[in-house]
Amino acid sequence: MDLQLALLFLQQGVASGLVVGSVYALLALAIVIIFRTSEVPNFAQGEMLMAAGYVALYLFVFRAMPVWAAIPMTIVVAFAGAALFRRVVLTQVAHASGSPVNLVIATLGLSYVLKGLVRQTGFGDTPRSFPALVSTDSIMIGQASVTRLDLAILGTAVIVMAAFFWMFGYTKLGRAMRSVGMNPKAAQLVGVNLNRIHTTIWGLSGAISAIAALLISPKLLMTADMGSVVTLGFAAAIVGGFASLPGAVVGGFIIGIVEQLVGLFVSSRAITLAPFLAIMLVLILRPQGLFGGRVVIKKV
Amino acid sequence: MRILGLLAALAGLIVLPLVSTGYVVYLANLLLTFTVLCLGMHIVIGEAGQFSLAQAAFFGIGIYTSGLANTAFGWPFPLSVLASGLVAALVGLCIGTLALRMRDIYLALATFAFGEAMQWVFLSWTSVTGGPNGLRIPPATLFGLEIVSDRQAYPVVLAITLLMIWATVLIARSRLGRAFRAVRESEVAALAMGVPVRTTKLVAFALSAFFAGVAGAMFAIYSTYIHPDSLGFQTTILVLTMVVVGGLGSISGAIGGAIVFGLISELLRQAPSYQEIIYGLILIIFMMFAPRGLFAFIGDNLKRFARA
Repeated sequence: MDLQLALLFLQQGVASGLVVGSVYALLALAIVIIFRTSEVPNFAQGEMLMAAGYVALYLFVFRAMPVWAAIPMTIVVAFAGAALFRRVVLTQVAHASGSPVNLVIATLGLSYVLKGLVRQTGFGDTPRSFPALVSTDSIMIGQASVTRLDLAILGTAVIVMAAFFWMFGYTKLGRAMRSVGMNPKAAQLVGVNLNRIHTTIWGLSGAISAIAALLISPKLLMTADMGSVVTLGFAAAIVGGFASLPGAVVGGFIIGIVEQLVGLFVSSRAITLAPFLAIMLVLILRPQGLFGGRVVIKKV
Repeated sequence: MRILGLLAALAGLIVLPLVSTGYVVYLANLLLTFTVLCLGMHIVIGEAGQFSLAQAAFFGIGIYTSGLANTAFGWPFPLSVLASGLVAALVGLCIGTLALRMRDIYLALATFAFGEAMQWVFLSWTSVTGGPNGLRIPPATLFGLEIVSDRQAYPVVLAITLLMIWATVLIARSRLGRAFRAVRESEVAALAMGVPVRTTKLVAFALSAFFAGVAGAMFAIYSTYIHPDSLGFQTTILVLTMVVVGGLGSISGAIGGAIVFGLISELLRQAPSYQEIIYGLILIIFMMFAPRGLFAFIGDNLKRFARA
């Protein structure tokens, strides 16, 4: 491969990597906020994204709802669904047995229920395409070609992340969330309502997944199995150290760029292996992740 | 009483192929294979409290190792069963060593990603697995005899299963088993008692991979065909559901779950479109209301009923 072509591939890979990476970053963010506050890796995150995508498809295409109504409604449905799962199911699971393993199994159960439900509705039978809301005319940046849609995806994702970081860092609700992550008992003592915070966090995580679904759906064919994109979200979270929010975002962009570069330079078939190899590579080179400090063992 | 029950069950299992049809014998072989898979899952989740989500991948590694050992090297099957278990355990050891360096849940995530990666490998490594065409598994040989039917394979499969159950009981009662449970209950306390926590987790994970590899070799004894599609995450979830239905943390639960839910899942094959919802709902509902499994749940309620 000559230098000229390599340079072109590099630019194109970074440009498209930033776009898909922004979606992985959102997904990783949704995973990490739940993990930070409840130590549960949510294995249903991918299916929450998939289900939200189908809700949007239903409202937008089959009900012919206008965009300004369909998008907020999808986000509200995702928020309510995730919050309800936390409030009704996980509260009872924690009550029945304190073991974290049981909570994880419940999220695996949710992922299968959502996948099965979407298949039952009949929408999931054939791959469907989600209409793009922004034109797909391409623009050249340097030598890389990106579409207007790509720029809209990246822009929206960055705005959502900025809004979330502001909420998490500077509002009373965000402070309460951080305190629950640090020490739930102490947080409760100073008047934080644990149940409400956990429910809100699950809701927010669902809403972020819904936004990620709205962003990524026009770029791929929707199937009931599209939730498997979560593996990349997990990989991004691990790159970032799994407990760090900025780490999750940076991890998402790194995974996106690496994925695109592997696709361009090696083979598009090798992309399936990328998440596993990325996880293993991080575990070999820097197991604490880019932004992770030391992991402290919780006292008994 | 308990001994009598076990003997009765054993006698039933031994005469089963004499009195039943071919399909029943095939199903019995399959359930025994799933029993071994469940025992592996039980060791890692039930005993040690760690998460492995690649049971299907190790099962597949076992199947292909055994197939390769039969065709390419012509090994007798006891050797290929052992080889299947060891190869799976070795792969598990490599992943576990890396994944358990930081957080416990990295094992869950790494094995989750490993399962998907392995399915891709199974689909693409055509010379060993037959790729998307699937693989015709050659018959296993014992002392120069070829095992060609389910009925011939049954005694062998049953013997391996009993051996694996015995091994599981032995492990549970040993120092290692106590270390597993200590790590599950409290890492800090286990560490204080001198239990090497990380090594213990790693051993539990490698053992579960070994069991899955052996289960793969068992499958290769009676089955004649394998397609990578049946080695995906779906199968791991099926095994997890069996263990959950039987009851996390008990050996009899893992065995009972494999048999009871194995039969249910065989019935569910009539309605594949509902399979996912049913598996998912079972996982959620059991975690909500019967975390100790079906048998403990029935037992508790019978007691409550008797008291009232």
